Amino acid sequence: MSVPLRATLPPRRFRISVTGAIGLALVVFWLAVTAVGPMLAPYPPGRIVGTDVLGPMTHAFPLGTDYLGRDMLSRILVGGRYTISIAFVATFLACFSACTLALAAAVKGGWVDAVLSRLLDALISIPSLLFGLVVVAALGSSIPILVLTAAVIYMPGAYRTARALAVNVNAMDFVRVAQARGEGAWYVMRAEIMPNMVLPVLTDFGLRFVFVVLLLSGLSFLGLGVQPPDADLGSLVRENLQGLVFGAPAVIMPAAAIASITIGVNLLIDNLPTRRVSRER
Amino acid sequence: MTDPRQRRLSGPVAEAAALLRRGATRREAIAWFAGAGMAAATAGGILTRAGSALADTPKRGGHIRVAGFSSSTADTVDPAKQTLSTDYARCNMFYNGLTTLDGALNPQLALAESIDNDKATVWTIKLRQGVQFHDGKPLTSADVVYSLTRLKDPKVGSSARPLAAQMQDIKATGPNEVQITLGAPNADLPVVLGTFHFLIIKDGTTDFKTAVGTGAFKCKEFTPGVRSVAVRNENYWKPGQPYLDEIEFFGIPDDNARVNALLSGDIQLAGGIDPRSTRQVQAADGFAVFETKSGNYTDLVIRLDDAPTNNADFVMAMKYLQDREQMRTAIFRGYAVLGNDQPVDPTNRFYCADIPQRAFDLDKAKFHFQKSGIGSTAVPVYASSAASSSPDMAVLMQDAAQKIGLTLDIKRVPADGYWSNYWMKQPVGFGNINPRPSADILFSLFFKSDAPWNESGWKNEKFDQLLLAARAETDVAKRKQMYCDMQGLVRDQSGIGIPLFISMLDAHATSLKGLRPIPLGGMMGYNFAENVWLES
Amino acid sequence: MNSLVLRLIATRVAVSLLTLLIVSAIVFGATELLPGDVAQAVLGQGATPDAVTALRQAMHLDQPAWLRYVSWLHGLLTGNPGLSLVNHLPVAGLIGGRLPNSLVLAAITTAFSVPLALAIGITTAVWRGSLYDRIASTLTVSAVSVPEFLVATLAVLIFAVNLHWLPALSSRSGVHGLFGLVRVYAMPVVTLSFVVIAQMARMTRAALVNTLGSSYVEMALLKGARPWRIVLRHALPNALGPIVNAVALSLSFLLGGVIIVETIFNYPGLAKLMVDAVATRDMPLVQSCAMLFCLAYLLLVMLADLAAILSNPRLRYR
Repeated sequence: MSVPLRATLPPRRFRISVTGAIGLALVVFWLAVTAVGPMLAPYPPGRIVGTDVLGPMTHAFPLGTDYLGRDMLSRILVGGRYTISIAFVATFLACFSACTLALAAAVKGGWVDAVLSRLLDALISIPSLLFGLVVVAALGSSIPILVLTAAVIYMPGAYRTARALAVNVNAMDFVRVAQARGEGAWYVMRAEIMPNMVLPVLTDFGLRFVFVVLLLSGLSFLGLGVQPPDADLGSLVRENLQGLVFGAPAVIMPAAAIASITIGVNLLIDNLPTRRVSRER
Repeated sequence: MTDPRQRRLSGPVAEAAALLRRGATRREAIAWFAGAGMAAATAGGILTRAGSALADTPKRGGHIRVAGFSSSTADTVDPAKQTLSTDYARCNMFYNGLTTLDGALNPQLALAESIDNDKATVWTIKLRQGVQFHDGKPLTSADVVYSLTRLKDPKVGSSARPLAAQMQDIKATGPNEVQITLGAPNADLPVVLGTFHFLIIKDGTTDFKTAVGTGAFKCKEFTPGVRSVAVRNENYWKPGQPYLDEIEFFGIPDDNARVNALLSGDIQLAGGIDPRSTRQVQAADGFAVFETKSGNYTDLVIRLDDAPTNNADFVMAMKYLQDREQMRTAIFRGYAVLGNDQPVDPTNRFYCADIPQRAFDLDKAKFHFQKSGIGSTAVPVYASSAASSSPDMAVLMQDAAQKIGLTLDIKRVPADGYWSNYWMKQPVGFGNINPRPSADILFSLFFKSDAPWNESGWKNEKFDQLLLAARAETDVAKRKQMYCDMQGLVRDQSGIGIPLFISMLDAHATSLKGLRPIPLGGMMGYNFAENVWLES
Repeated sequence: MNSLVLRLIATRVAVSLLTLLIVSAIVFGATELLPGDVAQAVLGQGATPDAVTALRQAMHLDQPAWLRYVSWLHGLLTGNPGLSLVNHLPVAGLIGGRLPNSLVLAAITTAFSVPLALAIGITTAVWRGSLYDRIASTLTVSAVSVPEFLVATLAVLIFAVNLHWLPALSSRSGVHGLFGLVRVYAMPVVTLSFVVIAQMARMTRAALVNTLGSSYVEMALLKGARPWRIVLRHALPNALGPIVNAVALSLSFLLGGVIIVETIFNYPGLAKLMVDAVATRDMPLVQSCAMLFCLAYLLLVMLADLAAILSNPRLRYR
């Protein structure tokens, strides 16, 4: 038989493919940047150090200068930390709470499912612009609030996906059997359903991570974001957009940074050594 | 244009002549002429590439597409309710005022045929004969009375109400004559009448779904937030004008998109471009940047009426922390003129050049900061894109403040609701003031103790007295001295820091001719429509 | 089965009406909560206290909030969503002028992106681990990770400013023929596809791969069924739930969330109308836009849920 069939067989445990390794390397690199990056920044990220704005890569400014003449390398090192940590925590919060609710909805069914689903439908229907503005007005702007806002905006979408998966798995025979055995709802959720939807849920996590990274620059436009002189990576792209016409590194580099983070995370997720836990084990 | 009657207005020539008559020394009078001439010279100098176009004869015909920088459902063709430059540009296509302001911001007669005054208090305005509204109705004094009275009605909600309030009585003294009685003398009334909100509409108009005025263009289509289409008014009272057949006008709020639309040939004039885009425009063939030096400024606002910022030393420290040169090059790419913490810009005839320029001075800033006793407490500074470029200015000040041990905590807040929620309400923030045609209007609206927009909450009795005296003073030399004193007072004592006067930048296809700067705003003080033409 | 579907639709429609009511109350509350009202927004920088008070009176904003809400609701139920507070034009007309624009853009983008995304998703799942899978996966993630405004601006710079192939602004007026339509819509549609394809393609791939590993697929495999048949007949129906949900979420974004594309290409659609309405605190317009988006969303997810139930025999006969 042909390649596709072998490909559909579960990969061997704890072996990671080349692409997975690339993904892992990118993720590790950016985690390192998050941890120590700002300490390595050659200049304060808010100081105008170059006379040339949107300048080219030079020895003094390895990634060029931004629209005011600030050092891009320093700004990316600082912005990378914000972007990665905020996006990671927010995405984790969104996906974790979404999964928990989705599993509860799938297993309990009936009115629990109906109420949860319709409530989250209502939540997603509130325009995020309005939501963001209300949050700024009512709670002000700080990093924890930024994280929570991003999580709340993307949670209902994650819930929809997770619920659709959980409902499918919940209808499988082995789950029926477990329920017939008299296993508790929590056990069924954790041990029977979750392991069988982990791959799509992680894929969803990877995508939502991308969305949150990009959302940050939109929220910072509403004043709900990283405050000047620092800026998240998306905002770095936005504020230097005028440089696009002559290919300034100030606009290309932060965009490349975003791409490499998000590609790294998604490649890693795609190539994770998955272990299926189900009755046929 | 060369109406002899305009000499009754307080133009620079008339004032200089009056100066001589009153026995001013020859030197003073020459200085005044030189001043006026200099303003004209700068105005000419600004026109780099477009300058040669002035010699060309206007051509008739053609249509253009123009994009301003904003567009929303709040777009209006009600002159009283205009708030944004896109509204000004639109209304100037469809309506006329009694006067109009020229390149030196001197009033020229428009719908008025003559303007006479008695002690600058009772003003008699004769209307131009034979002017028709777009629907054929002739212009009468009733239209003028209706248009001006309307501005005073609080229910109309015009932001020109504080300016209009001085007109205590507006009445028709004949079918073509209107008499305006002011509460107190104001020699600058013709200037006020030439500002955006004082355009003349038809008596009784309440519906502004379309615009029926006396202007050079008729309104063929107007959809708020989408676009307007203006077509030539064949019966326009200015002979030969307008030159264009049709103008489609809309807003593209994204700066890059607006410039790109111009460079791709989709539009011929892009209003309000970012200084950083000038490089792209200048590099492209067949396009030019049009600079208007004006009194537009983004200012640091420090409230003087509450702790902790009611602290003269803190205010002074902040003023010394403005690195004006760096702001000019880094933020505005040179398209700005240094400010001196007072609102009268060098294009204004009452600008006082004798006041020493306050420089960026970390030592003095440190001295005042230490004296202020603020210490290590972080001071929040509110900035928003609503007050253009203020987040960037705040970042520059933050970096400078760090060097003297002052911590500025920048709070970037949404443009949404900025003017009603943050502006003048936070101890330290930023404002943005559009050009105003006279020093009197600027001071009355923004610096008088009871001014509606007294940004820093500054109260100074001496200033108020000077302002009222200057308004009634007809001796130009004395008046100039008074304005000079006022500029000094504002510079040293108010809570306002004005680092720069920012040039208005537009970009246009070089085939579009006839643009001349009018320092009231970009796009010829938003009155480009009837003055531009297309070179085939 | 028919009765099940009918019952489901009936309950969902009823619940949807309730959801709409709740959302309208929340949106009204949020608009009220926002600092500043329409009087201040209209006056902008010129909002002095007495000017605001006078304008509020003229606009009847001095009525209590609940009364304004009830009268708006009453108007809506009688088929009249009211007048815009800002420009006094009928809300129905304002929306009516832009709804077709938004629908056309969404429809063209859907027609372009959904088949493409599903094709990418299915093929990458089938050839999982192959070079093709790696390249396609990396490309879809790269596409979605570039900020929308960057894609749009870059496209304009290349195709409008430098090559002069396409107009920089997407105006529907004066467009003739298929070629004209393609010229106007090419850049907005491609930009939006960059955003939505990844979500749909990746969810398709993940859901399929997940199903392909389950016991009944292995069973079919052992029975010697052909790979494509396994994917299309056995795996896809079971994986359809998450896929159609991803599609529904993407489509609801296309209807109301395309503000960046509308702004950059100066395309008058509903997203910009909503943004304007929020900025000016124009309650009837905010409400009506929000209701419209909510309705579209509820309709899409209901269709998605139906598709999921109907496609999965285990759910169908429960």
